[in-house]
Amino acid sequence: MVEKAITGEKRAFMTGNEAVAWAALAAEAEIMYGYPITPQNEIMHYWTRLAPKYGRKFLQTEDEISAGFTTCGGVLAGKRAFTATAGPGNILMQEAMSMAEMLRIPTVVVVQQRGGPSTATVIYSQQETTLTCFGGNGEGLRIVYSTSSHQELFDYTIKAFQIAWKYRFPTFVLGDGYQAKMRESLYLYNPEEKGIPLAEPYPFLGQEGRPGVEREPSHLRNTYNTEEELYQIISRYVEDYERMTPEVVEYQASDFEDAEIVLIAHGIVSRAARAAVKALRSEGLKVGYFRPITLRPFPVGKLREIAPKAKKLVVAESAQGQLFKLVQEALYGETVPLEPYFKPGLGITSEELVEFIMF
Amino acid sequence: MIMFYLLCFHYALCIMHCYLRRGVGIKEGQERIVEAYVGEYASGKSEVALNRALNLVRRGRQLVTLVDFDLVEPFYTLRPLQKELEKRGLRVLAWETEKTMGLGEAGTLLKPEIRWALQRAGDVVIDVGYGVAGAGKLALLANVKECLELRVYAVINIARPLTADVVGVVDYVQSLGTVHGVINNSHWGDDTNIRIIQEGAQIVTKAAEVLGLPVIGTTLEQRFAEQIKGNKLMGKPLFFLERQMNRYLW
Amino acid sequence: MAIVPNMPRSWRVETKPHKFCPGCGHGLVLKALGEAIDELDIQDRVVFGCDIGCSLLAWDFFNVDIVQTHHGRTTPVMTGIKRARPDRICIAYMGDGGGYAIGSQHLVNAATRNEKITAILVNNCNYGMTGGQMAPTTLPEMKTETTPYGRDVEETGYPTQGPEMVAAIAREGAYTARGTVANVRQLKNYLKKALQNQLEEKGFSFVEALSGCPTNWSTNAKATWAFLEENMTKYFKVGEVKVPVKEEE
Repeated sequence: MVEKAITGEKRAFMTGNEAVAWAALAAEAEIMYGYPITPQNEIMHYWTRLAPKYGRKFLQTEDEISAGFTTCGGVLAGKRAFTATAGPGNILMQEAMSMAEMLRIPTVVVVQQRGGPSTATVIYSQQETTLTCFGGNGEGLRIVYSTSSHQELFDYTIKAFQIAWKYRFPTFVLGDGYQAKMRESLYLYNPEEKGIPLAEPYPFLGQEGRPGVEREPSHLRNTYNTEEELYQIISRYVEDYERMTPEVVEYQASDFEDAEIVLIAHGIVSRAARAAVKALRSEGLKVGYFRPITLRPFPVGKLREIAPKAKKLVVAESAQGQLFKLVQEALYGETVPLEPYFKPGLGITSEELVEFIMF
Repeated sequence: MIMFYLLCFHYALCIMHCYLRRGVGIKEGQERIVEAYVGEYASGKSEVALNRALNLVRRGRQLVTLVDFDLVEPFYTLRPLQKELEKRGLRVLAWETEKTMGLGEAGTLLKPEIRWALQRAGDVVIDVGYGVAGAGKLALLANVKECLELRVYAVINIARPLTADVVGVVDYVQSLGTVHGVINNSHWGDDTNIRIIQEGAQIVTKAAEVLGLPVIGTTLEQRFAEQIKGNKLMGKPLFFLERQMNRYLW
Repeated sequence: MAIVPNMPRSWRVETKPHKFCPGCGHGLVLKALGEAIDELDIQDRVVFGCDIGCSLLAWDFFNVDIVQTHHGRTTPVMTGIKRARPDRICIAYMGDGGGYAIGSQHLVNAATRNEKITAILVNNCNYGMTGGQMAPTTLPEMKTETTPYGRDVEETGYPTQGPEMVAAIAREGAYTARGTVANVRQLKNYLKKALQNQLEEKGFSFVEALSGCPTNWSTNAKATWAFLEENMTKYFKVGEVKVPVKEEE
């Protein structure tokens, strides 16, 4: 049993990366595997500072391929294991995550998005949305939470472990360089004291008892012989995923009842969007707000309920249409026009959104 | 041939170096101020350091240099403010974001002129980035041992979980190496209230006793001034901060 | 009455006969490994990982827990398991492509960190499952599907000397050896020592097994054996390369 890192509730002031490290401690994560990349480094820095105090472990691997696969190994061994990465590291990690999808390994990966493609900037973007949701040679059978504040980084990192283990899909917390590095206050708490359940891990391999004698051996594979065999497996996974969707999907929506324009954003841009909606409302404009918190699965139902009532939807993101595609797919068949506000790799302020919508 | 150029370059540097050293010449009666601010990640040391530097300028001291000595996170510190601070009379030694590339990856790149920062004429205020080396990072500066004026201050924010209590503050300050004093900069950013500032002053005062170090004072925003009687907390002066860092997303 | 072959206790009878080609060396390596597991009586504790390539056909081979991973990635998966559950005996089983090409960084770094796992690499001088292409271990002048005129070392370099490389970078406590399916008793001995090394938590252990690939070599039994025993052993020396120094009494 690991030692409790947090008891009671405590207000603290820190960066987003630290919030993730504290959340992983609070979620009783047992081991982190990782490889340095900006802007997620302080997750590792703080985990390595804190972990030994609470009997947790860390391994710095040789690259993100290894970080992803060692994380798979840790989870297979029955531990709440996680890793964190960004940008080019996220690309390398997709290989392991595709294995996690196939073997239903509940890995937890925190992604602090940086500019792309390629090395680009170490600072900020929302350009890893598609990669995080659909990376790998599969169907994107994963859960992706897009956070917008330190409190959410803390809350959803804890939740990611629980949801990953409950449904056995690889789970991602999608932050960004701004969230990673900016400082704000948040409440650290012990989830159990608040009645928030912790993940209940169990080993996939290395269980007790002599395999083949006292129990069946665990034989896990990601290779299949025939198209039919694979089709059957994937169909079952898709069915599981669809059954899970209504239980997992999350969003924020406000001011949409009478809205003529609905502003859609995710992650940190949703903060600007929410502030813009408030400002525009005070100017008497009928503007609504919609923010998917889970990008996978996407809150299709709620968006389809809101969208037809509006005259126009504006999608704002620090990418060239990655959220836009998700929205478009969700609204297929609807006729409400979509207007893009794309700033790939660049932060978006509420002032510019107000100006964009007003003029 | 290459060696020849290198030698010439080195020679030129030496001449420059001597010139700079002569330039140190402090006027009679004016003691030079050289201060380094160290602290936990997000403790507010950059804010404290730059306010201190601006304050020195306001007090009419000539030649005040602010040194961004954050080698861990060169993209997220003073840089966006550099030009504005220079307009206000500060000399700022920092990388400019547009002039750097990939610094977040090779984040331990020391800007050459920072290495000789202590040889600059006038006052020098150094914002030391966080990291396991603590104040040990100052060893990278040339002539740091000969710089007798150098004072190292630890900036403490008790809203940081690792420095949330007396034991935490003591452990942390002891890990830093040579420190001459501690500063209470306890806050929750925009959500700060008087309670955290007062509690911080108490904890920092107790920790300073254990450490045998003086408390320099408490740094806080002007908006709390009226809530504190006598312009002192735990018997130590207040220094008001004009927040600069919060104007940037990080 | 059918003859019941003498199988290691840790083999899974239900999955036999196995799926390797006739004359393939994998069966012999896995037999030596099965016997080593039996003799050390560690069946309850073994977690076996196999790679992509022919080694993946071992995914249901034993009555031990098994995970089949990606090409080259068995070493990190086993590392991850071992770090999370140090009481398990973790075996990473791979081919020469998995260990020396696509996963070489994992082998090198696991050795450098002295991970307490056992890596077993089957060297048959080519990529078997994909149809006989050049591997890092393909001998000079040897013809494969991607070196139709013979491996040109000027163009493609010399074959990887795996155990020697691992021995050069691993710390004291590591065990490395090269065995051959031509001497199964010796190979079993090496595998046993490698596993023993993990059991004693001394360090990384690595055994390369020279093996035949008659399907892709297009050789009959005699020619397979001749290639294995003559051509391969000229380049790849059989024996222990690095053995932990015995602790002083």
